[in-house]
Amino acid sequence: MTSVAVTVNGARLVTDIEPRESLADFLRERCRLTATHLGCEQGACGACTVLVDGRVTRSCLRLAIMCDGKSVQTLEGFADDRIMEVLRRHFHACHALQCGFCTPGMLVTARDILLRLPSPEAQAVRHELSGQICRCTGYANIITAIVAAGQELRRGNGG
Amino acid sequence: MNERAGADGWIGASLLRKEDARHLYGHGMFIADVQVPGVQDVAFVRSPLAHARVCRVSKPAHAAARIFTLADIGPIKILEAGPELSAHRHSPYPPLADDCVRYVGQTLAACVMPTRAQAEDLADKVDVELEELPAVIDVVAAMRPESPRVFEEWPSNAYISTTVMEGNPETLASAPIRLRRRLRLNRQATVSLEGRGVLAYWDRRLDELVVYLSTQGGQVKRLALSRMLGIPEHKVRVIAPDVGGGFGGKNRIMPEDVAVAAIAMKVGHPVRWIEDRREHLLASPHARDHTYDLVICAERDGTLLGIEGDIYIDAGAYALWPTGAFQEASMASRNLTGPYRMRHLKLNAHTVATNKAPMGPYRGVARPGATFALERLVDEVARELGREPFDLRRQNIVTAPELPYRTAAGMKLDTGDYVSCLDIAREKIELTAVRERQAAGEPDGRRIGVGFAFYTEQSGHGIVEFAKRKFRVIPGYESANARMLPDGSVLLFVGVQNHGQGHETSLAQIAAHELGIDPGQISVRYGDTSVGPYGFGTFASRSIVFAGGAVGKATRALAEKIRRIGAHLLQTEFDATRIEAGIVHGASASVSFAEIAFAANARPDQLPTGMAPLLETVATYEPTDSGGVFAYGTHAVVVAVEPESGVTELLDYVVAEDCGTMINPMIVDGQVQGGIAQGIGTALYEEIPYDDLGQPLAITFADYMVPCAPEIPSVRIEHLVSPALTTEYGVKGLGEGGAIAPPAAIANAIADAFRDIGASFNETPLTPRRVSEAIDLARRVQASRA
Repeated sequence: MTSVAVTVNGARLVTDIEPRESLADFLRERCRLTATHLGCEQGACGACTVLVDGRVTRSCLRLAIMCDGKSVQTLEGFADDRIMEVLRRHFHACHALQCGFCTPGMLVTARDILLRLPSPEAQAVRHELSGQICRCTGYANIITAIVAAGQELRRGNGG
Repeated sequence: MNERAGADGWIGASLLRKEDARHLYGHGMFIADVQVPGVQDVAFVRSPLAHARVCRVSKPAHAAARIFTLADIGPIKILEAGPELSAHRHSPYPPLADDCVRYVGQTLAACVMPTRAQAEDLADKVDVELEELPAVIDVVAAMRPESPRVFEEWPSNAYISTTVMEGNPETLASAPIRLRRRLRLNRQATVSLEGRGVLAYWDRRLDELVVYLSTQGGQVKRLALSRMLGIPEHKVRVIAPDVGGGFGGKNRIMPEDVAVAAIAMKVGHPVRWIEDRREHLLASPHARDHTYDLVICAERDGTLLGIEGDIYIDAGAYALWPTGAFQEASMASRNLTGPYRMRHLKLNAHTVATNKAPMGPYRGVARPGATFALERLVDEVARELGREPFDLRRQNIVTAPELPYRTAAGMKLDTGDYVSCLDIAREKIELTAVRERQAAGEPDGRRIGVGFAFYTEQSGHGIVEFAKRKFRVIPGYESANARMLPDGSVLLFVGVQNHGQGHETSLAQIAAHELGIDPGQISVRYGDTSVGPYGFGTFASRSIVFAGGAVGKATRALAEKIRRIGAHLLQTEFDATRIEAGIVHGASASVSFAEIAFAANARPDQLPTGMAPLLETVATYEPTDSGGVFAYGTHAVVVAVEPESGVTELLDYVVAEDCGTMINPMIVDGQVQGGIAQGIGTALYEEIPYDDLGQPLAITFADYMVPCAPEIPSVRIEHLVSPALTTEYGVKGLGEGGAIAPPAAIANAIADAFRDIGASFNETPLTPRRVSEAIDLARRVQASRA
C-alpha cells in the first residue's frame, strides 16, 4: 500500500492505496463516487471520463497513484457548474440518453468540448465525440444537445 | 382506430423522460454501483481452449476454500433449454464446467477475494489440465457426417433441423429466373455498454436469497434460480437495478448468475461478479451468425415466385435457458417472404452446435438475417432483369387493400400501407437525384450507391403463438398493478424491465390518459420480484403492447372505482359523473381524487355500503389476436465507397416507418435512431471471427469495432400511422425495427455502387477489406472475360 493525497471534487483526501489501483476503481470503490462508469476498462468507450487537473482523462487507464497531488473532478463534482447545468438541460430536452450508462462520461466530455470549441457545429461535435461509445441513442440527439447547449452558452456570454 | 387515442393529450405527447434526472446527476444505480457491506468479488477461471476434456483443476493449497468448482457449489439442477420438442437435442450447460469445455471462455472455476484484482490474481494461480479435442468451427462443415461432434453422443451437430414447405415449391424448378446466392451475417456480440453482473447474498432477517442481477426480466430469472438451486421461489428475490442496456444479451439465465448465487449460499457473505469487456465479448450471448444458401425464383416480368434452399444458424456450444437459439431458424424461415406476394417456400433450417460461445437473442432476432438475405436477393433479381430494384419491390409488395394478408409462411400482416411507405422513402432519399449524381460521377473517384430495404417487425404476439413455437416459458401476457395512495398519487407496478426504453414515462402517460391526472403524480415501479406483479420482462418489442395494455386495463378499472366512490360522495348517479384533471364532477358539485382516495384507503366509513376499501387493481393483458401486430418500415441509404480501400461512408439515411399509434413520439424516434446505429454496426463494423482452432479474434474494443458518432448519420425519420386493430390504443412494438434493415439496405447500396462490374456484397460486416476484395474479384472476373 502507498499513501496518496488527491483532491476529489474539491475535498482533499489522503489515503493508502494499492499501487496498481486504477483511478476509476479508486473513485468508485474507495470514494464511493459511482457516477464514473466502467464500460470497457480498455480506454475505448469513454464512460469513465473524468477531469484530472482540468484535463479530460480516462480513469480506467490512469493509475490512482499517478494522481498524487492532483485534483480530480467527477460528474458528482459539477453540481454548481454553469456549463454542466446547461448541458444537463439540453440532454434532457433532446432525449440524449436512454439507459444512462454512458451519460456521465458524455457530459464530462461534452463540457470539455464546449470549453475548447464555443458553440461548435454538429460536424465538429460528431468528430469530437469519436472516443465516446453510446450503444442506445445512435448519437444524433447527443450531438443536437451539445450544439444547442453551445448556442445557449454563447448567447448567455454575449457571444 | 381506437377513439380514445389522442383524446386528452397524454397519448401522443413527446413528454420528456422522468428517468433522465438521476442519470444526468450520476445518481443512477447500476449493478456495479450497488453497495452491500462485506461484499467480495468473483473472478472466473475460463477455458483457454475451444473443446477439451477437463482432466484436473488444481487449487493452490493456501486458498483452496476460496476457489469453487462445480463439485463445490452443487448440487445444481441443470435445466433443459430450447423448444419443447423431442427432436431438439439437450445440451446440458452447467454453471461451472464438469468434465468438458466446449468454447473459449467457458467458466471452469470461480475465485472469491475481497477485491476483483485479488480474485483475478487467484484465478491465475488455478492450474487447469485440459486434453484438447477437435473443435467444430464452420457451421456448414459441422453438418457433414465426418465432422467431429460438440456433444459426443449426438448423431450430428444439429440441435434441430426443420423443413418449411409452403405452396407448391416443386414448381420453382422450372421458374424462368433462378438465382442462387450464399449470404452470411457474421457473428457478433450484443454490446450493452454496461456488461452483465450479479450480486448475491443470503438475507438472514428475511431468510431469503437476494440476487441483484443486470437483467431484462427478473421474474423469469427467479424461476430458473429457484429450480436450479432448489430453493422455493418465495425465498428467492431478484432485483434488477438500473440496467445499462441489454438488447437481448441480458435475457437468458447464464452460468455466472447461477454460480454466484450458489457461492453466496456457501460462503455466508455477499459476493458479486461484474463482467468486464473481455468477458462480454468472449462469453456473453453472441448473435447473428446466419448463413443462407438460397435460390430465389421469379418470372421474367419480375413477379417473385418463391425461395428454396438452406439456412444454417451457428448457435454455439450450448442452448441458453429458456428458449435456446431455435427461434432464429424458425423466425428466419417464416420471415423470408417478407412483405411480398411470394407463395412458394422450401427451406431446410439447421440450428447447429459449434465450439463457440452460445447464441442468444439480439435486437431484431433472426429478422436482420432474413431481411438481409431476402432484400439482397430482390436486388439481385432486379439486376438480372435490368430493372430498378425499387420498382421490383413496388411491383411485388402487398398493397393496402390486400391487408390483412397472410404470407406464405403463415404470418398475418395486419394494418398499414406498404406502398406509400416505399414511396415516401424514395421521395425523401431523392432516388432520381441520386441516379443523376451517379451518372455524373464523383470528383474524388468514389462510387455512389443507393439501397432500399423493407422490413416488418412482429410484436404483441401472444399465448397461442408462443405455444406454437414450443417455448418453455410463454411470454404471452403482461400484468400491471395500479394503486392509488390516500393523497391521490399513483404507484404503478409492472412486470416489464425498463433499461433505456423510457417506460417510467410512457407507461405513466398511458395511466395519466386513463385516470385524467398528470404523469407527474404517477410513479412506475419495476425490477424487484418482491414488489412487482408477475411478468416476463422487456424484449421482443413487447413492452408497449403488453405492459401498455395491462396498464391501460388496470388504470381504467381504477378510474371506474374512483368514479363510483365520487358519485357516492356527491350523492349522484355514476352515469352523471365524469373525470377531469384529477376531479370527479357531478352535475352541480365535484370531489377531488385526493378526497376520494383518502376515503377509499383511510376512511372506509365514507364508502358506499358493501364496497371493499382500497383503490387497487391488478390486470393482465394479451392482445385480442395472438398472431401479433406488425410494425414496418423502409430504410433508404446513400453510400459513397472508395473502390481501392473499400471504405464506405453513409451520406444520407432515411426511414419511413409505421408503428401504429405512438404513445411518445420522441421515444419512438430515439428507438429508431438507436436501432439503426446498431444495424449499421452489424452492416459495416461488428464481428467476432474465430480461427480454425476456435479462438475468438475480437475480445477487446481494439479488435471489435463499435460505431461511434462519426460513423452514424442523423437519420431522417418519417412516420406513417396505421393503428393496430387488436391492441390497446392501436400501438405496435418498435424497439427492434431500427436494427433489422440496415445490413440489407447498406449492402444493397454498396452493390448498387458497383453494379456495373457485378461485384457481390453478400456477407457482413462489409469491412473495407471485404468490400475492396469483392471489387477486386469482380474486376478480375471481368478482365478474364474480356
